[in-house]
Amino acid sequence: MGKVIVITSGKGGVGKTTSTANLGTALAMIGKTVVMVDADVGLRNLDVVMGLESRVVYTSMDVFEKRCELYKALVKDRRVEDLMLLAASQRNRKDDIKPEQMQEVCEKLKQEYDFVLVDSPAGIEQGFRNAAAGADEAIIITTPDLSAIRDADRIIGLLQNQEIQPINLVLNRLSPALVKKGNMISKNDVLDFLNIDLLGVVPEDTGVIASTNRGIPLVHNAGSQGAEAYMRIARRMTGQRVPIPEMREENFFSHVANWFSRNK
Amino acid sequence: MDFRSLFTRKSKSSEIATQRLQLILTQDRFEVGEDSMKKLQFELTEVLAKYFEFTMNSVKMSLKREGNSYVLMADFPFNQSKKNR
Repeated sequence: MGKVIVITSGKGGVGKTTSTANLGTALAMIGKTVVMVDADVGLRNLDVVMGLESRVVYTSMDVFEKRCELYKALVKDRRVEDLMLLAASQRNRKDDIKPEQMQEVCEKLKQEYDFVLVDSPAGIEQGFRNAAAGADEAIIITTPDLSAIRDADRIIGLLQNQEIQPINLVLNRLSPALVKKGNMISKNDVLDFLNIDLLGVVPEDTGVIASTNRGIPLVHNAGSQGAEAYMRIARRMTGQRVPIPEMREENFFSHVANWFSRNK
Repeated sequence: MDFRSLFTRKSKSSEIATQRLQLILTQDRFEVGEDSMKKLQFELTEVLAKYFEFTMNSVKMSLKREGNSYVLMADFPFNQSKKNR
């Protein structure tokens, strides 16, 4: 039996959907069976980031309201085997869904798949409650800035009250150069504040924009810093011991080295 | 403009951020306002001031997460016990 992991942050725009898409893809690439569930009813985007928007026929709402069988609502990924998406309804509102409905679907999915990743909406209201309802574990996404860390702290408190355990942290969009200059809160300071286990650090990678434009998750672009970071996180999620490297600062020489390795 | 700031280096923005965050998180976790925090700090200091000597604004308080609960951390740097003098 697999497990249900809710991917959440409190604050919007810190990379929940991007992380869900990349971790889902990375886990499937290393041979796990994965379903990604978009819980952002009314503002769905996971289908777009995955490049699957044209394939969505049914949504989780159709499953909840018994218009469609669960397995029929799952959209197959175009590139990787054993990677599925359950899209959210765009025409409904977050309070049209009850936590029990979400719980039931997650329960069924984890019988069949190794990983069920639930992409939570921003906020701490009904949408978040629904997303967390069926979760065994949680991954908190934060960026190293005040508002994101503050909101992450609030979310961690709420998840702990629901006895979701473990709650792990992914620190997204870290820029080693800015940390060095003293213009960005460091990894260690973030960990000090939130005091939960670190699952991984994803460096700022401008490749994310192009990857979203194309609808191809970053992990397909092997060799980029962001892709490598997500692959390491995925391996850790499967229980492998993969060390978290100290982030290198990008400089002239590393750019030249990257250029050569990309143009081989 | 402060004359000295021409010569001293501006403090790093990340340091300012961590100091602000420390205060924000403590207030959020306490679920009380700044006023109550100040009051608690003042009252605790009053009690301790009976036994120790220290300067009021050197006192620092914060809540740290430890597993599923919080630990109240309070630093009261004191010079020397009144008794021993």
